[in-house]
Amino acid sequence: MRALRLAILAGGIALGVEAYRVQIDNLGPHTTPERSWAIVIGAWLFLVAGLVAWSRRPTNRLGPLMAAAGVALLLRQLRYSHDSFLFSVFFVVGELSYWTVAQAVFAYPSGRTTDRAERALIKVGYAVTFVFTVAILVFYDGSKPLRFFDPTRRDSLINIAGHGDVAVTLQKAFVISVWGVLAAAAIVLLIRKLVRATPRARRMLAPLLIAAITVALRAVFESVFTFVQQPSNTILFDYLFWWQIGAFIALPLALLAGLLRARLARASVGDLVLELEGTPPQGIGPALARALGDRTLEVLYWLPERSRYVDTSGRAVELPKYADRAVTRLQHEGQPLAALVHDPSLLEEPKLVEAAGAAARLALENARLQAETRAQLEEVRDSRVRIVNAADEERRRIERDIHDGAQQRLVALALQLRTAQRRLRDDSDPEVDSLLAAAVGELQVAVEELRELARGVHPAILTEDGLAAALESLVSRSPFPIELDADEGRLPAPVEATAYFVACEALANVVKHSGATNAKISAQRQNGLLVVTVEDDGVGGAQTNNGSGLRGLVDRVEALGGRLRVESPTGGGTRVVGEIPCAS
Amino acid sequence: MRVVVAEDSVLFREGLVRVLRDGGFDVAAQVGDASALHRAVIATKPDVAVVDVRMPPTQTDEGTRAAMEISERHPEVALLLLSQVVEAKHALELFSQRPEGFGYLLKDRVLEIDDFLDAVRRVGRGGTAIDPEVIAQLFGRRRADDPLAELTPREREVLSLMAEGLSNRGICDKLVVSPKTIETHVNGIFTKLGLTPAADDHRRVLAVLAFLRS
Repeated sequence: MRALRLAILAGGIALGVEAYRVQIDNLGPHTTPERSWAIVIGAWLFLVAGLVAWSRRPTNRLGPLMAAAGVALLLRQLRYSHDSFLFSVFFVVGELSYWTVAQAVFAYPSGRTTDRAERALIKVGYAVTFVFTVAILVFYDGSKPLRFFDPTRRDSLINIAGHGDVAVTLQKAFVISVWGVLAAAAIVLLIRKLVRATPRARRMLAPLLIAAITVALRAVFESVFTFVQQPSNTILFDYLFWWQIGAFIALPLALLAGLLRARLARASVGDLVLELEGTPPQGIGPALARALGDRTLEVLYWLPERSRYVDTSGRAVELPKYADRAVTRLQHEGQPLAALVHDPSLLEEPKLVEAAGAAARLALENARLQAETRAQLEEVRDSRVRIVNAADEERRRIERDIHDGAQQRLVALALQLRTAQRRLRDDSDPEVDSLLAAAVGELQVAVEELRELARGVHPAILTEDGLAAALESLVSRSPFPIELDADEGRLPAPVEATAYFVACEALANVVKHSGATNAKISAQRQNGLLVVTVEDDGVGGAQTNNGSGLRGLVDRVEALGGRLRVESPTGGGTRVVGEIPCAS
Repeated sequence: MRVVVAEDSVLFREGLVRVLRDGGFDVAAQVGDASALHRAVIATKPDVAVVDVRMPPTQTDEGTRAAMEISERHPEVALLLLSQVVEAKHALELFSQRPEGFGYLLKDRVLEIDDFLDAVRRVGRGGTAIDPEVIAQLFGRRRADDPLAELTPREREVLSLMAEGLSNRGICDKLVVSPKTIETHVNGIFTKLGLTPAADDHRRVLAVLAFLRS
């Protein structure tokens, strides 16, 4: 194919040179070297643009179509030859070249014309042009000069009827119908195509279609001049000529620009790989949008657990079902991964979208996993907090139940026994008295134990007066003096309870294991954290993982998003530090 | 002496009323919640109101709040608060609002019936009755370089009883020693702690508590 394209290119170049020569040799003062070159160069551009498109996208018919239009435009110039054969053949074939150009324009960028009106216009155009040009040649006898030709005589090979006036009239009708009516219809269809295009497609189509409209407008003007006399003002005529040439040169350039854009897009897919490295999940969508030149692009993530798509913020989203949005599903190992919702014009470049999707796949997979993990982590964190809160609530309930239930009853019972003991004192035997006294004594011990138990479960003063008061109460019951430095002011109940139990457990360890004679407790708010510290001057060597109550407290503190550290070098005292986030 | 009892646990309340009646008190009313207590105080004009700290509906500190209201509206009524737990912090707060005719005891102190009846009488006469647990807590929070460290164990014992609200006489009975010995201890304590000796029982308690809370 490459060889074929090179041959066409070589042939096209040679043909261009020949076309130039034919114009200069045959049109005399009706052309200039600049004009002749301009026409040839315009045709060459079509040819080259077509060949480039053909090599880039071999499956797209647009490239061959553009190349054919370029060749046809060059062949058209051969009609100016005074050789009867060349004149006759290319007078017909040359005019068909404009419809090849139109075909290419309407087929851009897919290479196929799918719209019925557009197809009909092109068919009619080819047919009408063919019929008119053949008819003109049937009547052309050289007696009257043809439009666009120098006045010198040429011979039609199919001159059968031989009537110069008819030939000129037919040419007039041809210009009006083809260059006027059909070109106007082409303008309408081109504008319709632009209006109907999606925003992204419009950006891609606009340069080409505007150039095409310009060409068609020029044709319409030409038909107008068949009614009014050809302007004697050659400057105006010049303007029209260069307008047409300019628009004609713009056409293949617009096509090349479109191609270049696609290459740029592919280059930006390459950049995408680099860009996505280290892009946070919410940056992936915008990066893809930039790479694919579609600002409306959105990324939706597939959540297998919920069997549905969610957007970056985790909100569930339905895939759009309307024609104005297209969806490209991305998969990974046969499982849905994400979906790109984008402009339908991107569907014309499925390779590009696939490439972008592939480049982004790793990042998308990461983002999806991150989103999933974050959601799960959030759930676990919430449930840990709920568990801690529920446990606290339960402890408070148990504390109340002990005081208002068992303890209350035992005291009342003891009081009854005591009353009985006193009433019996004078007339009962001493054994009964001492039995009752012992029973009351036992009950008193039981009540005292219950009180201690309740305090250990959840001290009432913590609920009623807060952390500082509870720590003060704790310290005042300690067997040796403890320095206390606690901020007053209430905090959320879970925070206060956690800090209290940390201090309580650490202090219990100080008393039981450390052999310390001095200890210090502090509870202070620092930068949104409640920092509770218990330090002693004992033997050290404490750990959180040896079954001490501190292990459970590590979990508890972490459930609230905090940290618990134990610094306890052997022989160097122990320092327990709990840091608990407190929104205050 | 006329007494009103406010306690939501019927079993305990009845026991309490029996103890008070056996002890010669005139129990003018027994109620189960704060608003009934207010009505009873107005209706019976008691000398002492014995009040449970926790009462319905919230079972937290209704009793305390009701007692403090009575203290404001009827300062002539002495108050004895009973609780399942005592906290030095609460005791000091209440005591600073109401230094005379005030008591704050654990419920189980009722079991030592004679001591309890003494406490009710003392409070009814404008004296004080602070739970030993409170005093223990106040001792517990002392700093290391404490003047209390200079006290002998016996002197500490005497100091605790003084802080509870007992008179020298009461302390004599409790420790089974002669009034002369107690007087020596008390003077020793006042000197060591740098307190001004006071004859009046309740001023003496105030001084000791002020010292302990500092």
